[in-house]
Amino acid sequence: MKHLKALNQKARLLDKAVAEDAVEEVVAMSTVAGCTATVDPGWEVDAFGGVAGLCQPMEADLYGCADPCWWPAQVPDTIISYPDWNKDAPAADKDWRKLDSVFPKDAL
Amino acid sequence: MARTLGGALAAFALASGSAQAQGRINIPNLMAERCSICHTDDLGRLPRIQAQRKTPEGWLMTVVRMQRMHKLNLTDDERRALVKHLADTQGLAPMESAAARYALERRLNTVESFKSEQFTQMCARCHSGARVVLQRRTATEWERLVHFHLAQFPTLEYQALGRDRGWLRLALDEIAPALAKDYAYGDDAWQKWKQSARAPVAGQWSLSGHLPGKGDFNATMSVTTKGKDARDHYALTLDGRYADGEKLIGRGAAVIYTGYEWRGKVEINGVEMRQVFAIDGDTLKGRMFVADHDEIGADVAAARLDGGAGRILAVQPSYLKIGEKARLTIVGSGLDGEIAFPAGVKALKIIERAPGRVVVEALAGRRALGTHTVRVGSAEGGELAVFDKLARIEVTPPYAIARVGGNGGDAPKVEARFEALAWANGPQGEYKVGFVPAKWSVSPFNEDAKRDRDLAFAGVIEAGSGVFTPNNAGPNPLRHLMTNNAGNLAVIAETTGGGKKLSARGQLIVTVQRWVDPPIP
Repeated sequence: MKHLKALNQKARLLDKAVAEDAVEEVVAMSTVAGCTATVDPGWEVDAFGGVAGLCQPMEADLYGCADPCWWPAQVPDTIISYPDWNKDAPAADKDWRKLDSVFPKDAL
Repeated sequence: MARTLGGALAAFALASGSAQAQGRINIPNLMAERCSICHTDDLGRLPRIQAQRKTPEGWLMTVVRMQRMHKLNLTDDERRALVKHLADTQGLAPMESAAARYALERRLNTVESFKSEQFTQMCARCHSGARVVLQRRTATEWERLVHFHLAQFPTLEYQALGRDRGWLRLALDEIAPALAKDYAYGDDAWQKWKQSARAPVAGQWSLSGHLPGKGDFNATMSVTTKGKDARDHYALTLDGRYADGEKLIGRGAAVIYTGYEWRGKVEINGVEMRQVFAIDGDTLKGRMFVADHDEIGADVAAARLDGGAGRILAVQPSYLKIGEKARLTIVGSGLDGEIAFPAGVKALKIIERAPGRVVVEALAGRRALGTHTVRVGSAEGGELAVFDKLARIEVTPPYAIARVGGNGGDAPKVEARFEALAWANGPQGEYKVGFVPAKWSVSPFNEDAKRDRDLAFAGVIEAGSGVFTPNNAGPNPLRHLMTNNAGNLAVIAETTGGGKKLSARGQLIVTVQRWVDPPIP
């Protein structure tokens, strides 16, 4: 890492975590039922257990994440499972209100 | 608004469809007609379906996926009848579902912990581990589930905890066989459960509960059958009250799956709620939560009033301070004998007496310090802590997730509710007193949260109740880079005990909404 310089906030967080030897610890903690532990980046929490390193506002890059099903248990993947999820919402940062939750309510 | 499968949203009274109509559906015919199109083998069997066992919610998720992704055509009544049949004939025995009921009960602040790190990283990194633990499959079916995952979510090999290992080999050669062993289709527990007698459901139940942000409550729940054509379908009413004196009046319906899985839909004081209970003989236990805000929910226990053994479910509140007169409500069944408090606790006056509820004015002396059970006739149980000074408090839950919502979007805000759990010291060591009132506040959890001004944007906590309401969903132009109203907050409870200030700290992550929200997270 000595030839690489952290330029943004997330990189600085990573530097700090490596220095403190805290990376393993934060990956292991994130198993709250229903939250993803896939933290590159995370959906609910970042790799450090906070929210400062998340890709936010999430609407800015939502479809870049929905399409490759990065968090398929939290965000509908449009590659296979829900290809039409965002058809009425071409720009997530403006149209996010048109996006529906995908599991039907009151189904049981 | 989430879309329904069978058309417009039904009125609440019809929310679980027509029990009679569901009862008349011929399931073998329906399965032969709709499921066999894809699933039949050469012998006309349905080997994929027949090699799995799941909870009602597990089967619902499967059937809904068939409807959504494979265009299975079912009416709402047909779906409900099919899920009921599958959960009844290929369900989980009570002891099989016991380990992960938190997921069915929607306790979404549960921090899961599994012995196998491999399992956590393979399965519980995307969804709850409970989703796996609540299934039983043959070895072939566990293997097929791996292939399903790769086909349905093809990038999972590239995600963190996927790309750094030989994912497919690991999944097929190590995880699938381990799951086949730990969660085997042909378990003795299920064979025994299938043959065991079913507990009666209809009748009167005495119910005790605790709703964070509101307090204790108790009620009588009257359950009646819906007739021969509607096996396992019941109508119910609730009549009770909260500790603050507010009445608790409810009406609704419940369906019993697998002989013990109680799923109710009730309207209580005008709010639509769900019940997820497990019946165990003449008692039941579980959680009752607001239908579209499942984070707002109560722990519930109940005992049959007619025919059941005498039981004490709870003493409300669960503590007495030495030297201070207080009203205690003992909730249970068969409470018609003599009231016997532990030595040092005096019953000064009986305020109210019924088989399910006894209200007593009581006073505790020093020799009663510690925790005790209470007896009424042959019924014994509950927890009564007698204390002088509180030693410490803790924030529960210690770690919680709230989510931004509303603001015109589909997902409602997910709030967080905190309580202060008090402990005292006695001759036998530390003991639990119960939930005590506290003054609540939030502050930045760390330097990042301070720098990003999370406190100003993430939401507010009510000082008196510990209810945290997150802020609106959507990018916020007032924040750096228009980021969401997420935040990392410390939750602080303060109270006084024995003349000194007590405080405790928890953590609250306020994060973004989820768009996929099935019944098992």
